[in-house]
Amino acid sequence: MGNEPESGSTDNSANDDVRVSLGGELILPIMALVFTLYYFSTIVDSPWTAQVNAFMVGSLLISVIVLFLLRMAIMVSRGEADLGLGNLLQPAKLLPSRLIYIVLIVLYLLGIEWGGGFTISTFLFLLCAMLLLNKGKDKAFVLGLSAGLALLGYGVFIIAFETRFPAGPFEKLMQGVF
Amino acid sequence: MEIDLLFFINLFLDTLSYWWVIVPSIFLGLIVGAIPGFSAANTIIILLPFTLIMEVEVGLIFMIALYSSSRMGAGIPAILVNIPGTAGAAATPLDGYPMTKSGRGQQALAISFVSSTLGGLLTTVLAIAAMPILAKVGFYMHSVEMVVVMLFGISLIASIAAKDTLKGLIAGFFGLMIGSIGADHVYATPRGTFGFLEFYDGVPLIPALVGLFAVSEALLVIEGESVLVKKKQIEEDHSSWNETIIGMKIAFKHWWHITWNSLIGLVVGVIPGAGASIASFVAYQQSRTYSKTPELYGTGHPPGLIAPESANNGVTSGTLIPLLVLGIPGGATAAIMMVVLQYQGVNTGPRLFLDNPTLGYGVFMAMFVTYLFMLLTIMPLSRYMSRVTLISTVYMSPLIISFTLIGSYVPRTYMFDMYLAFAFGIIGYIARKTGYHVAAILIGVILGPLLEQYMLRALKMSDGDVMVLFRSDLANVLWIVLVVTLSFPYIMKKFRSRKDTPPDKPEGQENVFAKD
Repeated sequence: MGNEPESGSTDNSANDDVRVSLGGELILPIMALVFTLYYFSTIVDSPWTAQVNAFMVGSLLISVIVLFLLRMAIMVSRGEADLGLGNLLQPAKLLPSRLIYIVLIVLYLLGIEWGGGFTISTFLFLLCAMLLLNKGKDKAFVLGLSAGLALLGYGVFIIAFETRFPAGPFEKLMQGVF
Repeated sequence: MEIDLLFFINLFLDTLSYWWVIVPSIFLGLIVGAIPGFSAANTIIILLPFTLIMEVEVGLIFMIALYSSSRMGAGIPAILVNIPGTAGAAATPLDGYPMTKSGRGQQALAISFVSSTLGGLLTTVLAIAAMPILAKVGFYMHSVEMVVVMLFGISLIASIAAKDTLKGLIAGFFGLMIGSIGADHVYATPRGTFGFLEFYDGVPLIPALVGLFAVSEALLVIEGESVLVKKKQIEEDHSSWNETIIGMKIAFKHWWHITWNSLIGLVVGVIPGAGASIASFVAYQQSRTYSKTPELYGTGHPPGLIAPESANNGVTSGTLIPLLVLGIPGGATAAIMMVVLQYQGVNTGPRLFLDNPTLGYGVFMAMFVTYLFMLLTIMPLSRYMSRVTLISTVYMSPLIISFTLIGSYVPRTYMFDMYLAFAFGIIGYIARKTGYHVAAILIGVILGPLLEQYMLRALKMSDGDVMVLFRSDLANVLWIVLVVTLSFPYIMKKFRSRKDTPPDKPEGQENVFAKD
């Protein structure tokens, strides 16, 4: 899964009439380019020791991106490709639940930061995420599994290994016991 | 004390008597190695209070067993769910995961275990025999040579993502730029930090590793019901001991491959800072370059799994050589071991083998015995471990997200690192969906600060003269090896295509087709 190129380019090779969608492939080079230019802006007035490596690597990166864009422009001008997003947002039916899933992850992080601590935040995140992905099925099992996993994490990491995980009301309450 | 065969036999028997430390440490190491972001180094740090009150021999054996088995453990999630437990296993999924996807997860685990164990055993024996000679490699690797070694590693990125070299280079150089975030080494000028103080020490590797591999994978796996392609689930569900035996046979059949790649791991491991991630990619690249079937690599080809697994286990003994002989830790875990040894009043360095040879050689004997125990205890587990792939992604994905994000919090206890891991997860997800290699980005992030460090040192010594990179004989040899390694696949490809081209058609026939 992860190591196979999953861009639109791979999907369409069998059909010459279908254009390859390369728009999604532009996201990473554009991010890299913007970041490199931002990085350069932070070292313009710095001593050479702070600049030399970044200018060397950054110049190489920009050169490669330019070559990549040129290749893409040639393909688009020949009608072999378009700037559609390809399979970046595919499968479309999963898009809403994936977006909600990402929101849940952000809420999980905020929950920990805002004092929810590891155990309660993990329990709530696991519960909501599993219900979301399981389309609301097996509620009792999901509830039990989420609680079990959160407590297992608490037991192994916080109690057994004394790992410094973010503490919340549950951890503080249990501090009196353990 | 005389260092002869009897000395080593006594040492071996003495180390065997510590089985009660070794066996539990092996299982602990396997578990922590398999949890992304929860490395052996972390575990040793967490368990430091216990390690410090142990006898020096017991403490060392515990750390060595944990270190060796965690290296093998890191390969388990890499093979089963495409999430390397540590950066050292980043090359393992290239062929391990496709094997799992095609219902051969159990076989892949057996191959990985045999390769890791044999690679570890072999290099440990070699390290014991040739330790004083190997340690001298460290003396010749100065900043100029290290720059070339770093560039060698980076150039492999493009080769690894050979389906599109440009994309491989973009991912790799982007990783290098990300790895350059932080205060500069001389004047502490903040660079590319977006104003975050948490970036002043550079980009922490654990959040990068967790995000690029674990979070992005967790976001991706929800597209399917399980990690396996559905029709292959039945095969995996009905897999038997036969799969383990087949895997073992495949691994033993490639004994020469294991030998060669574990040696690569040993040599790379001796170079301080190079580590398992570079060794596994170098081994993978070499394996593919000299293979008769390079096109099979990345599709679930056993030699593509054997190479990184035997190499990253070869590294374990390699990293300890500079620590014990020179007093320079070769990696994070070695550095922690050094702290523990110093706390116990043991000074590592050239005098260790004169003053306390039992302890010096005992470290490698502990590693040897650990690998021996691993061969006997881990193999039977492969049948059950492969069942992980049958767990529904509905439960797997949230579990991966929550436990690995929290794992990225552990090293520095910054909430920032959890957000950072999430951000890397989004980058990794986009990269995977659009055909960029996340491993290339990660290798860039790892090598970024190292490259800068060695580059600056080299330039400072030459008053800014870039030609210094070509003034050392060893560096020039390395440059040649670099050029040969980069150009060899293209030459081989051209050679093969010329060989495979059918004989020229008769002139008349060619003209007929041309007219059509």
